[in-house]
Amino acid sequence: MNTSPKLSPTKYDLLVVAAVLALAVCLGARSFLDARKPPQQAGGNSVIISIDGEDVECTPLRDYSGQHVYTNNGYTLTVASADGWVDVTQSDCPTQDCKHSGAISRAGQSIVCLPARIVITLVGTNADYDVIVG
Amino acid sequence: MKITTRQLTLCAVLAALALALSYMESFFPLALLIPLPGVKLGLANIVTVFALYTLGAPMALCILLVRCTLGAVFAGNASALIFSLLGGFSAMLVMIPIHKSRLSVFGVSIAGAAAHNCGQVCAAMLTLGNLAPLSYLPFLLLVSLFTGALSGFIASLLFRAMANTALMQP
Repeated sequence: MNTSPKLSPTKYDLLVVAAVLALAVCLGARSFLDARKPPQQAGGNSVIISIDGEDVECTPLRDYSGQHVYTNNGYTLTVASADGWVDVTQSDCPTQDCKHSGAISRAGQSIVCLPARIVITLVGTNADYDVIVG
Repeated sequence: MKITTRQLTLCAVLAALALALSYMESFFPLALLIPLPGVKLGLANIVTVFALYTLGAPMALCILLVRCTLGAVFAGNASALIFSLLGGFSAMLVMIPIHKSRLSVFGVSIAGAAAHNCGQVCAAMLTLGNLAPLSYLPFLLLVSLFTGALSGFIASLLFRAMANTALMQP
């Protein structure tokens, strides 16, 4: 046997737990602060659709309502938007993570569909996009 | 490095076991309970932890490489390879230096699970060319505390059960 492992949890294991928690809190703090910002006026957000790492569409949320269909990498996503919410309603990917992740409405939130390589991101009007191309 | 027949055989059996465990995992989709991309039990990590202690780091790396490559071949999905490789090697990178420290298998396994998630999020950012997957990482890290503790617990049971068998004698 190479090294005998310690089989019962030790107090040093708590250091690992604390380190992982600290990392999660640090990474999560930014999106938490974003979420606590006062909501922007209705329709103030924009939807960015990124396919294969390229932003192919950036539309103000108020002009985005209805159904949108995107196809990439052999998969098809249906994105629905109404009343400031964006949601993936239909997908033929095997994992269905994008459908399960639910609807988004706040700037900074995103829905990722890994198999189709499509990312749907909401940005606020005060985000660093100074030109919005409809 | 001289490899004995016993080590080579154990290596092959463990690689097959890891492959079987990662396939079996798809029958218990943790993602149904916690809807986050990349959430899984990480049962194959039990094998990695076991191999790290019984066979040492080089052999454990070989097992990992075999598992990832064959897993991608059997799944017929080449793009899954970058995810399992980046995840697996990140976990290894963290577990190799700490596995001889004062941490128990629980601590080592949790650190490995957390590192695995970091690696997979990196892979997702590379494939998508977008920073969006980073927003999932805090939640994935929290989940990894539980999945890491679970595989650490199973690994500790495994070590206890194997302690007095011929397999563990030099």
